[in-house]
Amino acid sequence: MTSSPLPKVLAIDDSELIHRLLRVRLQYEQLELHGALDAAEGIRLAYELRPDVILLDIEMKGMDGFEVLQRLKADVELQDIPVIFISATASMEDRVRALDLGALDFVGKPFEVVELKARVRSALRVQHLVKMLAQKAQVDGLTGLWNRTYFDRRLGQESAEAFRHQRPLALVMCDLDSFKQLNDRFGHPFGDMVLEQFAKVLQGGRTSDVACRYGGEEFGILLPHTGGTEAFEVAERYRRQIEALEWPGHQSLVVTASFGVADVSTAGRPVTADELVSAADTALYRAKTQGRNRVVAATEYGAGAQR
Amino acid sequence: MRLSPDDPVIRSEFVGDPEMEGIVFLFVSELPQRLEGIQSALAASDWERLRTLAHQLKGAAGGYGFPQLGSAAALVEQGIREGCDLNVIKSRVGTFCALAARVRA
Repeated sequence: MTSSPLPKVLAIDDSELIHRLLRVRLQYEQLELHGALDAAEGIRLAYELRPDVILLDIEMKGMDGFEVLQRLKADVELQDIPVIFISATASMEDRVRALDLGALDFVGKPFEVVELKARVRSALRVQHLVKMLAQKAQVDGLTGLWNRTYFDRRLGQESAEAFRHQRPLALVMCDLDSFKQLNDRFGHPFGDMVLEQFAKVLQGGRTSDVACRYGGEEFGILLPHTGGTEAFEVAERYRRQIEALEWPGHQSLVVTASFGVADVSTAGRPVTADELVSAADTALYRAKTQGRNRVVAATEYGAGAQR
Repeated sequence: MRLSPDDPVIRSEFVGDPEMEGIVFLFVSELPQRLEGIQSALAASDWERLRTLAHQLKGAAGGYGFPQLGSAAALVEQGIREGCDLNVIKSRVGTFCALAARVRA
C-alpha cells in the first residue's frame, strides 16, 4: 500500500532568512515545503506544484503580496488554495484587505512558532475539506459513479480535445430495461441494488473509460481515444455482463440494458458535444424500440437526430 | 567594533533550542556581511537597497531570537519610507549597527 503524498506548502517571501527559518520550524510537520523568492516565481510554482497551502509575504519588492493574492484568486485553477498572509508590519487595514481579497488567515512576523504550525495545520484541514467537497459534488451518491455535472464538463473537454487533435472519441448511452416494472414489482431498495450492480459492471471496464450516472436509470460512458467499432464491442461486453448477473432471492430474474453508441468520426464532419449525446440517445431509443437488450450504433448526427 | 564592558552581549532568545542552533549560528556569522551591506548602501545613498536590507532584517531577526535587532531595522526602513532627514537615517543605522555588534551566537 502506498501512503498518500504529503500536502505541499508553498512559501513566497523575498527574504532567504525567512525561508531558512520556515524550513527549520516546519521540518517535523507532515508537509512538503517549497519556497519562492519573488512573486513571479511564486505564481509559476503555484501552477506547477498545485500546493495545498500558500504562505505569502505582503511586502515584497516589485509585485507585492496583495497583487499576488489577486492573481491567485482570479485564476479558477488556483483560487481554492488557502493563502496565509505573513507580514512584519501589517496594519489592521492591511489584514482586513488581505482577508477581503480572499486570504484565509494571517500570521505576523516574527513567527510565534507554535501558532505558525497550528495555522498551517488548520489551513491544510480546510484544504482537505474543500478538495473532498469538490470531489463529492461530482460523484453520484448511490452508485459512486461520476454524476451528470461531471459528465457534462468532461464531455465538453473531451470533445474539444478530440476535435483539436483529430482524435477518436466515442460515447455510449445506456438505460436499464423495464426499470420501472422492476421497482414496482420488487420495491425501491431492490431497484437501488440493481443500479449499484449495474454501476459496478460499468466501473469494471477499461480504466480510461469514464462512466457516469446520467440520471435515473440512464448512464453515459465516455471512451476517449476510442472509435465506433471498438466502443460497440465495449458496450456489447457490458450488455452481456449485465444479462449474466444473478439476483439473490430471484433466481430466474434477468435484468437487461439497452445501449446506443456514437462516435465523433462517423458523422464525417466536426460533431459538437450536444450532437454526440443526441446521436447516442437516438441510437439507444432505437435499441429500445427494436426489442431492448441490444447495442445499436448511431447513424444520424446533428439537429435532425431526435427521438 | 570593540565591546565596552557597559555593552553586554546579546544572545538569541532561542539559546538551548536545538532545532534553532544551526540557523542562529549561520545568522550571526552572516551578520557582519549584512552590516557591511547596510553601511555601504548608506555611504552610496542607495536608499532602495538600504530599505530592502533593513526590511529583510526587520521581518527575520525576531524569528532568530533577536527582536531588538528587528525593531532597530524597522526604524531604519521606516525612516527611508517616510523620507526622513539624512541625519536621522544615519543615526538609526548607527543604533542598528551598535546593537548588531553586540550579537553573539
